[in-house]
Amino acid sequence: MKRKWRETGAGYLLMSPALFVLLLFIIGPIVFAIFLAFHKVQMLGTTTFEFVGLDNFQRIAHDTRAKIAIWNTLKYVVIVVPCQTILALVLAATLNAGLKGQKFFRIVYFLPTLTSSAVLTLIFMWMYNQNGLINHVLKVLGLPTYNWIGDPDVALNAIMIMNIWSTAPYFMVIYLAALQDIPDSLYEAAELDGANALQKFWYVTVPYLRPVTSFVVIMGLIGTFQLFDQSYIFSAGSGGPNNSTLTVVLLIYQYAFKTLGTMGYAAALAFVLALIILIATLLQRKFSKEESLY
Amino acid sequence: MKGKKWLTALGITSVLMGSILAGCGGGDEKAASKDASGNNGEKVEVTLAGWGGNPSEQKLLQQTLDEFEKKHPNIKVKLEVISEQYMDVIKTRLIGGEGPDVFYLDAFEAPALIETGVLEPLDQYVTDDFDINDFEKPLLDAFKGKDGHIYGFPKDYSTLVLFYNKKMFKEAGVDVPKTWDELRETAKKLTKGTEVYGFGVAPELARLYYIAESKGGKVVTDNKASFADPKVVEALQPIVDMHLKDKSAAQPNEVGANWGGEMFGQGKAAMVIEGNWAIPFLQDTFPNLEFGTAEVPTINGKKATMAYTVAYVMNKDSKKKKAAWELISYLTGKEGMKTWTSKGYALPTRKSVAAELGYDKDPLRAPLVAGASYATVWQQGTNLPIIMNNFNNQFVSAFLGERPLDEALKEAEKTANKEIESK
Repeated sequence: MKRKWRETGAGYLLMSPALFVLLLFIIGPIVFAIFLAFHKVQMLGTTTFEFVGLDNFQRIAHDTRAKIAIWNTLKYVVIVVPCQTILALVLAATLNAGLKGQKFFRIVYFLPTLTSSAVLTLIFMWMYNQNGLINHVLKVLGLPTYNWIGDPDVALNAIMIMNIWSTAPYFMVIYLAALQDIPDSLYEAAELDGANALQKFWYVTVPYLRPVTSFVVIMGLIGTFQLFDQSYIFSAGSGGPNNSTLTVVLLIYQYAFKTLGTMGYAAALAFVLALIILIATLLQRKFSKEESLY
Repeated sequence: MKGKKWLTALGITSVLMGSILAGCGGGDEKAASKDASGNNGEKVEVTLAGWGGNPSEQKLLQQTLDEFEKKHPNIKVKLEVISEQYMDVIKTRLIGGEGPDVFYLDAFEAPALIETGVLEPLDQYVTDDFDINDFEKPLLDAFKGKDGHIYGFPKDYSTLVLFYNKKMFKEAGVDVPKTWDELRETAKKLTKGTEVYGFGVAPELARLYYIAESKGGKVVTDNKASFADPKVVEALQPIVDMHLKDKSAAQPNEVGANWGGEMFGQGKAAMVIEGNWAIPFLQDTFPNLEFGTAEVPTINGKKATMAYTVAYVMNKDSKKKKAAWELISYLTGKEGMKTWTSKGYALPTRKSVAAELGYDKDPLRAPLVAGASYATVWQQGTNLPIIMNNFNNQFVSAFLGERPLDEALKEAEKTANKEIESK
């Protein structure tokens, strides 16, 4: 008994630095955030914590901007996640088809992922400019031009386009890896049955990739729900024009740092966002019926 | 049993780690107390935090600080430039107890920060030869707390003036407008389709506050939003009309510019209302542009404009308050302010310095100085950030023609006040 105790003790002692870091930097902040969500907090000057129960959560129900932020974020998720998943799959399939120079294209496609999102946003803002590249191309093609950054009706769409373009390649690489895994025998069998290229893609490739798709969708959901830097840079932190680029995380940021004394409310919002993401992920898993990967 | 083991291991670890951390803390304290006793011949290092200006401004500040260090050999100034999200960084550092000894504070943020009690009241340090009455009163009042104490001394300020493109005015054969109605007519004549707009507008409260209140309405009453007042709507309506009906006004991003100065410099607006900061920008970036400045056109026969000011304030937790005050009193004193404002990047808040440097006679800056006496300082209670945010959001939608102005402002006021109440 004693020896066993000593052995486990030694084990924990060796693990202790890792455990300590985990407690201090991951578990601790989470617990503290939950604590904050139930308090009215004043951080600056004389620090005070006043227990207010569920007040912060009730306030969300009456906060027009919170509703706009949640609505914007949902709209963003619903459009971006399917688009980027399909785009990633199609890109991966074409790159796996044995075309000439596919290694070169793999690198080119992957480049956006390697660039920092802040830099990408700045480049895109320059292209979205009223006299910028995109409007110029639209004008040459005889299509209508937009004030991409200043018009509330299109500002969120502008961010969507940018994000689909920049995150799809990342998921493409994941698909590419999975594609290499599909046994050739499956395709050969399909060929013997007289399937054409499209049928092979639809009846062999897509079902075989289902676990990977599930992974890609969940990572996409989490990533898109946390949209922040793009809309932050786009609107200079305000969520404008006319609240059209206000996302939940941007709102949390505003309440946490821009207005004094609303840290507790910001924590409550963060808590709600975490819940939304959790529910979305669970729903996704239920619908995809595929749980073998994790 | 198993749980207990886990607990013991955890306990040991945290005690170990805790003592290491405590050890570090002790070291810090020692260092700090040494600094505090620095007056006995030892050097004291005072940290000064601010945002970065343009390179020439930065050079001028360094020159002022060098002169200060020469006169106070026992004090060393460590300048920290926070280039992004200045207030977020400052607030976070103050919460963590790592705030700088002296830092810049915009008048707009001052009431909320003063209320939290993180700033040191400065009146107790003031001596007669500092000559507090020399400051322009409205600028000094912006940094007074509810308790009557002064928490900061304004380092400089800027008012808004009308910038006009001399060449375009000549071509169109128009004069510089003296009243707001004249401005509207002039703007129509200067507009050339969507290539050149007569007037470049920044549709935000910070720039429109004085116009909003020009018909007797109030934007803020009792620290709450009251901008849906019909008088405020009436005062602001012409600006929306200029954009939607006359099509003679536009905001910078409609022509692909980031701000009014850029729009004006690129020749896409014949007139803009901007501050002192636009003068060096235009001279550096568009050296061939011929422009003039004039006082903002009168509304209802009354002169009005905005004033923006920034002060040096002291951290209440500073351990080197004496040295920090030396620095503040030098920078906002007659001598330091003269050096800092000598090149015209910033305007002096002291009357004597302004008179000495003669900015009231400078053709470009005279209208700016003239505005100081009647300007509305951009600062109004602790809830202004919330009020501004909601105003800007809805004003833009009215400006873009999505909804009538009165309806938009009503909704913005409701949202703002709800936010203030639940704070």
